[in-house]
Amino acid sequence: MKSRLAILVKGELSRLNKYNVFSISILVALIWGIILFFLNEDALGSILPFVLVLDATMMSVMYIGSVMYFEKSESTISTMLVTPTTNKELVMSKVIANTIHNAFSASLIIIVFIIFKDVDVKIFLVFLGIISTTTFFTIAGLCLSYFQKDFTGMLVNIMILMFGFGIPMALYQFGVLKADFWEYLLLINPMQAGAEVITAAFVGYEFTYKYYFSLAYMIIGAAIFYYGVAIPKFQKYAVKQSGV
Amino acid sequence: MFKVEDLKYRYPKGEHDVINGISFDISEGEIFGFLGPSGAGKSTTQKILIKILGDYRGTISYSGKDITEFKDDFYEDIGVSFEMPIHFSKMTAMENIDFFLKLYKNNADVEELMKRVGLWEDRDMMVGEFSKGMKIRLNIVRAMLNNPKMLFMDEPTNGLDPMNAMILKDMIREFRADGGTVFITSHIMSDIDQLCDRVAFIVEGKIIEMDSPRNLKIKYGKRSMTLEYKENDHTEIVEFPLDGIGKNKEFLNLLQTKEVETLHSGETTLEDIFIQVTGVKLKNEE
Repeated sequence: MKSRLAILVKGELSRLNKYNVFSISILVALIWGIILFFLNEDALGSILPFVLVLDATMMSVMYIGSVMYFEKSESTISTMLVTPTTNKELVMSKVIANTIHNAFSASLIIIVFIIFKDVDVKIFLVFLGIISTTTFFTIAGLCLSYFQKDFTGMLVNIMILMFGFGIPMALYQFGVLKADFWEYLLLINPMQAGAEVITAAFVGYEFTYKYYFSLAYMIIGAAIFYYGVAIPKFQKYAVKQSGV
Repeated sequence: MFKVEDLKYRYPKGEHDVINGISFDISEGEIFGFLGPSGAGKSTTQKILIKILGDYRGTISYSGKDITEFKDDFYEDIGVSFEMPIHFSKMTAMENIDFFLKLYKNNADVEELMKRVGLWEDRDMMVGEFSKGMKIRLNIVRAMLNNPKMLFMDEPTNGLDPMNAMILKDMIREFRADGGTVFITSHIMSDIDQLCDRVAFIVEGKIIEMDSPRNLKIKYGKRSMTLEYKENDHTEIVEFPLDGIGKNKEFLNLLQTKEVETLHSGETTLEDIFIQVTGVKLKNEE
């Protein structure tokens, strides 16, 4: 028998495809690609990292939220609970599959721009940034899904994220928020941390403590969410879905 | 095989116990029925036995070992058939089954199971296109695909037409004949009556009666014989005590001289017994 985790990850990826989540993410990547393709090089330099950040943050939360919504609406979580898999394997498989999926859609955008626009990007750093950010936001999205009652609840969660973290991050990235005060305050913003580690892969980025702090934020934050919320609360969530 | 002693359970936000100190055991090769109206504690008990719900009080042992000592290998031994459909609707029946099959060490002959429940021809159809009855039949395949030693079935015939309900009941009997053990929760008394070796009635979290259907019928049934015969242009009904019926001259005389229409012993049904014992009408609870 193959590793159960590998089987679960393969199953998750297969369902992302069957439920058209893959198709939607490719379509979104394509739309971003077309928009970016017509930008001049100066604008492209700041917008491309921003698009990758949105993909790794907001879209990660949305994709994992929709996966959990499908499972909830079809009660499949009940039958997963009575297989010889552990809760850790079930949660980890979702995190891995969604990270692979998001890294794939981000790769599409990057590859297109490396080929057609000759964008200079440090491959290792961009994937380190995308994977660490996607993992953090997938786990965060998973935790949020435990508390969302329905699809509308998921959209509300995303709007809260957008207003609470996304807009300040965007305003800072585009130089609207300039004061030093914001530089320090936004260090606690996970979307800003994601932006920092992804932007680091592009030409002109100056490595300071902020990069290392942000990378540590994504990795340690993901571990805290995973071990502190995602795993311990999973059983309670799953039992609730099974009609108790 | 399963031994439950003084089981009590209260939901985390509950004010009182929903399972109030129940005890029973299920022998290997037995079909054990758990009956009760909605909200009586049937599903909660089943969820505790299959280790979905924890934090209970009392002890539960499986094959002589406390179930808390079992890791996930516990699920290699058991199969669970849920009342509601539990499949990925945008995948075909076979894709669903193949996915779950790979998670178990022991695999059943899926083709045989699918043919038995009449789904083999529809194996490449999306489950979302299945009728409710087909989804329930696929639940049964899902429950049995790891060749379990014990089956837990929650309202297994609910949503099935009489023909498929009969096929399912035959499968349960064959499973038992091959050494399997079955725990069934249901409010459909006729299924329980036909299948179970023993039944337990649960009301408000307490077991109020437990025995074989036959013994319960003898215990709660009326020891009488009712004879209906034709007299002129109408039907006469006469009831005789069952004790000494073979020597009852009036009864024997009616048998010999009248045109008998029906002859019934005072045997009761499980549903009547349930109502008698609990005062709860099952059908009103559905």
